[in-house]
Amino acid sequence: MGRYLLGRLLTTIPTLLLVSFSVFVLIRLVPGDPIVLMLGDAADAETVRGIREAYGLEEPIYVQFGLWLLKAISGDLGHSISNGAAVAPLILDRFQVSASIVLIAVLVAASISVPLGMIAAWRQNSLTDILVVGGATLLLSLPSFWLGLLLLLLFGLKLGWVPVVGYVSFAENWQGALTYILLPTVTLILIEIGVVTRMARASTVEVLRLEYITHARAKGVSEASVLMRHALPNAFAPTWTLLGLVLGNLLGGIAVVETVFTLPGLGRLLVDAIFARDYPIIQGCMLFTAFLYVIVNLLVDLCYPLFDPRVMAE
Amino acid sequence: MTGLRFSWRRANAVIGGALLAVILFAAAIAVVWTPFDPLGINLRARYAPPSWLRPFGADEFGRDVLSRAMAGALTSTSVALLTVAFAVICGTALGLVTGYLRGWTDRAIMMVNDALLAFPGILLALGLMAVIGPNRYGIVLALGIAYTPSVVRVVRGTVLSIREREYVEASRVLGNGEIYTMLRHVLPNAFAPLAVLATSMFGWVILSESALSFLGLGVPPPAPTWGNMLAAARPYLESAPWLGITPGLCIAATLLGINLLGDALRDKLDPRMAG
Amino acid sequence: MKASNWAYGLAVGAALLGGATAASAQSMARVSINADIRSTYPGVNRDSNTDGVIHHIVEGLVAFKEDSSVAPMLAEKIETSADGLTYTFTLREGLKFHNGAPVTADDVLFSWSKYMNPETKWRCHSDFSKGNSEVVSLDKVDDRTVAFKLKQPSALFLGLLARIDCGSAGILHKDSFAADGSFVKPIGTGPYMLADWKKGEYVELAKFDGYASRTEKRDGYAGARKASIDTVRFVIIPDRSAAKAALYSGSIEVLSDLDVNDLKETKARKGIKVDIAETMGLSGILMQTKDPLLSNVKMRLAIAHAVDTAAIVDAVTLGTAKPNNSPIPSVSAYYGKPQGEMIKYDPALARKLAAEAGYKGEPIKMITNKRYQPSFDSAVFIQAMAKEAGINIELEVIEWATQLDMYTKGDYQMMSFLYSARLDPSLSFDMFAGPKATQPRKVWDNPAAQTLIEQSMTISDTEKRKEIFNKLESMFRQDMPMLVLYNGADIAAYSDKLEGYNAWMAGQPRLWGVTLKQ
Repeated sequence: MGRYLLGRLLTTIPTLLLVSFSVFVLIRLVPGDPIVLMLGDAADAETVRGIREAYGLEEPIYVQFGLWLLKAISGDLGHSISNGAAVAPLILDRFQVSASIVLIAVLVAASISVPLGMIAAWRQNSLTDILVVGGATLLLSLPSFWLGLLLLLLFGLKLGWVPVVGYVSFAENWQGALTYILLPTVTLILIEIGVVTRMARASTVEVLRLEYITHARAKGVSEASVLMRHALPNAFAPTWTLLGLVLGNLLGGIAVVETVFTLPGLGRLLVDAIFARDYPIIQGCMLFTAFLYVIVNLLVDLCYPLFDPRVMAE
Repeated sequence: MTGLRFSWRRANAVIGGALLAVILFAAAIAVVWTPFDPLGINLRARYAPPSWLRPFGADEFGRDVLSRAMAGALTSTSVALLTVAFAVICGTALGLVTGYLRGWTDRAIMMVNDALLAFPGILLALGLMAVIGPNRYGIVLALGIAYTPSVVRVVRGTVLSIREREYVEASRVLGNGEIYTMLRHVLPNAFAPLAVLATSMFGWVILSESALSFLGLGVPPPAPTWGNMLAAARPYLESAPWLGITPGLCIAATLLGINLLGDALRDKLDPRMAG
Repeated sequence: MKASNWAYGLAVGAALLGGATAASAQSMARVSINADIRSTYPGVNRDSNTDGVIHHIVEGLVAFKEDSSVAPMLAEKIETSADGLTYTFTLREGLKFHNGAPVTADDVLFSWSKYMNPETKWRCHSDFSKGNSEVVSLDKVDDRTVAFKLKQPSALFLGLLARIDCGSAGILHKDSFAADGSFVKPIGTGPYMLADWKKGEYVELAKFDGYASRTEKRDGYAGARKASIDTVRFVIIPDRSAAKAALYSGSIEVLSDLDVNDLKETKARKGIKVDIAETMGLSGILMQTKDPLLSNVKMRLAIAHAVDTAAIVDAVTLGTAKPNNSPIPSVSAYYGKPQGEMIKYDPALARKLAAEAGYKGEPIKMITNKRYQPSFDSAVFIQAMAKEAGINIELEVIEWATQLDMYTKGDYQMMSFLYSARLDPSLSFDMFAGPKATQPRKVWDNPAAQTLIEQSMTISDTEKRKEIFNKLESMFRQDMPMLVLYNGADIAAYSDKLEGYNAWMAGQPRLWGVTLKQ
């Protein structure tokens, strides 16, 4: 197990290196310069060059990358060009915001969707099934940012139940934090319910058709027991894989939701940094997101046997 | 049971097909005709609410929202079609090569593939858009590259699972070339999962394109797309809600159509997954 | 059961009330800014948001008034020698830094030495180290008096010293810097002290109780600056609609730059007040005189005549700004008849001029961006109007960072652009006129005009300067390298709980002289 883990971790290193290097080069190919942005309409070439030198941006790109990499290995991702903030703590700080929303959303969505999907599968082709699948497909088809905007319009502006903008950390004031992350979390939950319910239903349908279920039913085991004892564990495995994917995708794609609700999360940090050409933040965010994605996939793979008795038996 | 399952598929196909047909029809008409010029400014019609003349109202420049939504349908669907075509063609070619050749080529391609999969699409899109220039082809290329890796995975998986089968071996033994074998025997097996993937991908691309445009990184205005219409409508959500509702509904209807059609297709091509 | 519920409700209500009174002991005003500040070092690594925050914390010897004239700030009086080479500043009595230390001539000398160190990269360094306002020396006369010696007489010296984007050369205490000379945080003399900067979220300032205020009434950054609100928090809200929503829902008290398209809606809102002031920025359409097609002055004039400036400005700014075709801001004292004249809107003439220039409908690319909505809106209208006159303009909407890059390199045909405020007409011309060979960002390359601009910087006599600016105006109109549209307006929206809040020419929020009602 330990060796397997080590092996898996080692194979991710080239991937991470490749991601880092591409980002490093790509972001510098993009027109626009952080220093020109800093100076605005009065940027003359001489001043720009001087400040670029001070930030080490005039070095050849491989030297810049080498220096950055050496520091990155020791956990130092440099400092923001825009406001001088240290990148690594900044990313961790912002990640807490994104992570709390995504984790809550995935957990809530899963605990609603998995039973819902199973019931739909169990009562296949009934009215319940049609309503559940239809509803899930409808939710799945809503763009998150549009849903978010509508929720914001209704609950934030028209009804005034929740604050429209801002954020406090859980450590500072957990009740306050809850009111701020309520709407974005609900948005994500609604969307994810669509995805996870359909997956849970599909895998349960497949399992229910397997021989041992028919066998169990034939033996007169109660339907509840069939569902709980036999179907659930088997149907959960593919859903678990999907949850991993959802988690990874959400962390990458949460930028739009954070933009709608102006949350200081990782996604918005990245998008803002792109507009400001804040190279160190962009590099840091990309490395971190890629790393996270790899880790989430690894965890999912490692936990897979726990949920799939067939793999366990082998 | 079989009869009922069939009806699921048919219901999905009918509703999904109808929704998509409406959208594609609107897009097709927009090629030759829209009620108003989608870019035509009319200072007197600024923020005009829905009326008989302008059923979906007018925006901050007095441009007709219906005309823009139709033109947007054309932009969004053509971008999505081109992107999917790009990803499927490139992904299939790469998937076949990497699945068939194995060895270091396989490892190298898969490493790049995994790296791309770990790459948030937004940055990839922005980077490529900036290098290519801000236009719809930039976004096709950017999203195409972002979605190619998943096609590569599917095709490679199919190839790996059937390349040792008897009839593939037989083809080889019969002295058929590798390329012929690949195209004649391996590719058709990849068709079903690819068709399902391509359908879902069409939906993802519509969504990604609108999300990118919403963030200001997509097809640039004044050319209308649903995403940038929605982004532009944001400040007027409360005062002129029709500006935001129309493009949002368009995106949702298209995605719903695609998802339903995708379900029907999956039922037909992959009965194992059927419900 | 019912009674106990009722009692519980009462208890909760009382607790809430208690909470509210506890909060009211410490008053707080929240102001939205659309991006994080860049640093707290005055005039070093800054942008407009940074300046807005910094000017609450530090003060210079002089400051700008609302009519863009310069008034003493930390200085009690300013004396100029007869030859115009020596400026003597006497500091006010009783001035204190945030740490309680008195402000002395040594502090002025110390701060100046920091700013004039090239390593600091102070934004105004090159203004005082060379050229028209070069400072030869700064000397201490006595504990409260310093004297600047210039190389040549300059009409701009005091204006440069007050420059908002250079932090008014704000006077800092030595402890603002670490032992190794690096900047730590600003210990200034302003009405507020820096309390907390949570990067990416907010900047919080606390009232400075030892503040020594001037007695004149508040005027721009000059005059009385006494604070009465305990805490001011600048909240970072990048999104314009979110900021508006925050104001409506009471999550912030001030939105210092309301979008003009929200004006009507916001005005109608209960509990929100709006104040509008004309600013000195400049919105215009740049035309690249090096472009093969646009190098023909007739083509540039054709475009200018194809545009109905008044209609565009009215549509884009909804009547909050006046149309203006002159590079000199309309609020300037140098704005007279030649400046006020509008370019004639004449599509027929435009057609004729374009034909004379040999134009055959080739597409002309105009760059614009969505970051500055009015700039984008103007571009869309101009495209439509040019079409009427047979001129085919294609819009290319790009990101602001990319546009700024193209601007700096001069790499464009046409560009809808926004200049930040220049508070002196010499600087207004200087910002876009100059040799393209060495400074590709310059729009107007005319050596004769260059000589006149330089001349205007050395002469202090108002009438003589006016003459020069009038001459420049007619040269500018003949060359037409840029179609100026308007100067813009600062629209501040604020909660009616705030008393005394006003918009002003610089567009920056000011939380002194403002009280918060509960």
